[in-house]
Amino acid sequence: MRTSRGKRIGFSIVAVVVALIFLFPVYWMASSAFKPNLDIISTNFDLFPSSFTGQHFVDAVTRPNFLTFLANSLIVSLTAVLASLVIGVLMAVALARFKFKGRRGFLMLLLVAQLAPFEAMLIPFYLIMRDLNLLNQLPSLILVYFGATLPFTAWTLRGFVHGIPVDLEESAMVDGCGRWQAFRRVTLPLLGPGLVATSVFGFITAWNEFLYALVFMQDTDKFTLPVWLSTFQTVFSTDWGGTMAASTLFTVPVVVFFLIVQRNLVAGVTAGAVKG
Amino acid sequence: MVPYLLMSPALLAIAALLGLPAVLVLITSFQKLDLGELVTGRTVWVGIDNFKTVLSDPAFWGDTVRTVLFTAGCVVSTMILGLLIALLLTKLGKAIRIFLQVALVLAWAMPILAATTVFQWMFDTHYGILNKTLIQLGFTSFRDHDWFSTGSSTLIIIGILIVWQATPFVAFTVYAGLVSIPGEVYEASALDGANAWQTFRSVSWPGIAPIVALTTFLQLLWDFKVFSQVWAIKQGGPNGGSTTLPVLQYLDGIANNHFGTAAAVSVLMIVIIVVITATYVKMLLRSQEVDI
Repeated sequence: MRTSRGKRIGFSIVAVVVALIFLFPVYWMASSAFKPNLDIISTNFDLFPSSFTGQHFVDAVTRPNFLTFLANSLIVSLTAVLASLVIGVLMAVALARFKFKGRRGFLMLLLVAQLAPFEAMLIPFYLIMRDLNLLNQLPSLILVYFGATLPFTAWTLRGFVHGIPVDLEESAMVDGCGRWQAFRRVTLPLLGPGLVATSVFGFITAWNEFLYALVFMQDTDKFTLPVWLSTFQTVFSTDWGGTMAASTLFTVPVVVFFLIVQRNLVAGVTAGAVKG
Repeated sequence: MVPYLLMSPALLAIAALLGLPAVLVLITSFQKLDLGELVTGRTVWVGIDNFKTVLSDPAFWGDTVRTVLFTAGCVVSTMILGLLIALLLTKLGKAIRIFLQVALVLAWAMPILAATTVFQWMFDTHYGILNKTLIQLGFTSFRDHDWFSTGSSTLIIIGILIVWQATPFVAFTVYAGLVSIPGEVYEASALDGANAWQTFRSVSWPGIAPIVALTTFLQLLWDFKVFSQVWAIKQGGPNGGSTTLPVLQYLDGIANNHFGTAAAVSVLMIVIIVVITATYVKMLLRSQEVDI
């Protein structure tokens, strides 16, 4: 469809305005993080920063326990994602490479399970973790995040395995590979991008999770980054510079991951029903 | 035998981490389970008393109405904005399109809690950029204006936050649908002398309608159970004015140790979610976006 020059310029202007609106909170977080305290606690209109400081980042990182929170977040997110990747890929292979009774039913189970409302199962999970003596322990979060990401992981990986021609494996088997060897040498390397995309998505889900982390973790040194961020205001009253520096540090890894796999996410999105 | 063996770890995990809690929430909703019962480990069956308590509480109905209105507001705004931005993306030159896409990705990717704290900061009473800007524009009555002083204005800000982060997903998904419509169809429509609106109605809309319907239901599903943003901004306050059902579940169960009634709230939430999910899955299977 041909668009006239005038219209095109009009659309471009609208697009730039929309982009700036969407960027603004991100910009405001970063610029506040670099703004000296004197400027932050001033009533002057300061849309554009006049001076810079890296002090807030130093403060945030050297704040008691910051490294502990970072480690906690990394441990629960990475462990949960790794577990659901390993167990998910097994189920994905079964569903994509074998014909067996009940296959459709298991696919339906995965489809429905990835839409399960984990937020509405807070009470039973709390009671289970209490009985297992896991409250205030990182494994409780790992279990919940593993359960929350597994169905999506298995479902999406099944799509990726399905997309790799089975002929490749078969010819490897003709060449004398066993079934496992054919999978490991041929399919697994081709599955790389799929594994990366899926695990990034699972990682972001776990990295973001707040409700369970808030409820399960009672001691300060067990907090994950989201819980720590939510306490920032009350604990440090009005240290907005520090809060924004911490938020920026919390955001950077996710944005990097996101930019890497964005294309894959959008492509598989309606089919896979990504968890939000 | 092999496929069942391969699936068994995943199936066990799903049974333990999804099936078991689902059954347990139902069982708990028929029990009196307060701090006393929790400590002594006694099981006290109370039939449907928890549901009676919850359903006869005017506050529950207030929270339900609030949750429904809040969800509807978020979903409608997200869908309209997402649709408009998707259409806009098809009209842009490459450089500006990528600029807009990067802006959208950043908003989408920002961790929820980071986004929430930024919004608290932007809407801060004394030093927030919004009040500063309003004063700069001459609206001096906004000096020290507290945006979180009422439940409805708190929820509107939470809504803006949610819509801001959810719109990119809708825009990208619909845009992907729009670009998959073959160019010849548009050319044919232009040859027939159709104007922009007619082209949208007869060519674009039929192409994206299934995707729009699916994403609407996904948004419904997600927005209905939002907890993080609502809790982190004002803990359901002031005076319960921004309490939604997920917050009520937390307050009842975890904060006040009424696990039985909280489980009843959960069960009622799950009923609504199951209805939405069932409709979504039915639509998904019919749309053949997914092959089973």
